[in-house]
Amino acid sequence: MRAGDMSLDSSASSIFPRTDWAELGAAATADAARLDRLIRLYWTPLRIFLVASFPSLKDQADVLLQEFAEDKILKTGWLQRADRQRGQFRDFLKISLRNFVLDRLSRTEARRPPVSLEELEADLPGPEETAEAFDLTWVRTVLAETLRRMEADCKDPSAEQPRRSRIWEMFRIRLLEPLLHDAPQVPYEQLIATFGLKSPTDASNMLLSAKRIFKAHLTRVIKEYAGQDAATAEEIRALEEFVTRLARKIG
Amino acid sequence: MSEFDSAGALSKSPPKSLAAFLAAGEERARLWRPEELGAIFRHQMSAPVLMDLGGFDPATAARLKTLSHAQSLLLTSFLDLFLHPVPPVELLTLTKDFAKGNMDHPDASLPNEVAAVLYYVSIAAAYVRLDQRISQLGDAEFQRGLEWSKGKPWVEARLQRLLDEALQKLARHPTPRPLPRAEDKKP
Repeated sequence: MRAGDMSLDSSASSIFPRTDWAELGAAATADAARLDRLIRLYWTPLRIFLVASFPSLKDQADVLLQEFAEDKILKTGWLQRADRQRGQFRDFLKISLRNFVLDRLSRTEARRPPVSLEELEADLPGPEETAEAFDLTWVRTVLAETLRRMEADCKDPSAEQPRRSRIWEMFRIRLLEPLLHDAPQVPYEQLIATFGLKSPTDASNMLLSAKRIFKAHLTRVIKEYAGQDAATAEEIRALEEFVTRLARKIG
Repeated sequence: MSEFDSAGALSKSPPKSLAAFLAAGEERARLWRPEELGAIFRHQMSAPVLMDLGGFDPATAARLKTLSHAQSLLLTSFLDLFLHPVPPVELLTLTKDFAKGNMDHPDASLPNEVAAVLYYVSIAAAYVRLDQRISQLGDAEFQRGLEWSKGKPWVEARLQRLLDEALQKLARHPTPRPLPRAEDKKP
């Protein structure tokens, strides 16, 4: 595995593997290649969490994550402890990684203390901030994957609906560019001309279709790690609440 | 069609933008901004009647087509319909129903304000041009709706005049209240 490699080949349709809770258990005994993919795909949020939790270990982050993967995730039984009753999978990962690093540091200190635990603890930005950094990266990763899939889906030349590429463009112009790139809103009259919209109903239907396609892909991306429909819906709510809360906090 | 760098855009997006994006992506979120209502209403007025009303069942759609072309009526847009000296009452009724279906409906394709003005203008056109009341609205409610629609700055002048005419007619000819029945009289 190449540490930190988030680039995906065409066979890896998701940044996240199939990690619903039932499959997590199965993953513990699955072949190494599959587990390798699992770790690789979760690498970026985990790395950000590790560095945010232990800034002094920034240079060792990849090595520690590699060890975390080998000693924990790849070890039979660890993933089976990822019990949905204990909370969200994201939280389980965070707690496990933090405990792993603290444990590793305490052992190292016992042998030869390069950096004291006290120093490291003093270095910590606080559990709330580190969890936020992890969750924020997670949201961004989920959304980036959702948009990547939506764009590919809408531009798929084999799709039966030729309107779908225009639906993506409408979504991009109307929502993505203004909200994520601070682009000015395109006037309604310009939308009519660009897309040849015959009536407001036509315009609204196109925009509604775009939102439905986005929601379908978002649900699919999250379901791949959250599992059942109810857990997926709960995770979508949790991510929305998280960014809203963080936006209010930061201002 | 340009490629959108999703990962790049998102990696720099602050939580506020992410929250706004997730909220706007919700189906129930408002599709259009208040300052766009004028442009949307103008678009609705210029839209072909058959385009929006053609969504009814096939028999109604066929009837609509016949009506639109009957007696040399060349109704191509909603504005044509409302300004026609003798608009077909069926078309006005279908327009009113189409508008009503879009009012206060979570899946509505028209902004509520635009749908409501379309609703009252349809009723006003039937009342002024054909002397027919095509809704169950009482005088007071009808008057409130006409005044509310007239107050929208994005309603064009010719339709403002139609609403005015309806208000004047309503003032001149209020619907007579039914006489109280003998058994309703208080002792």
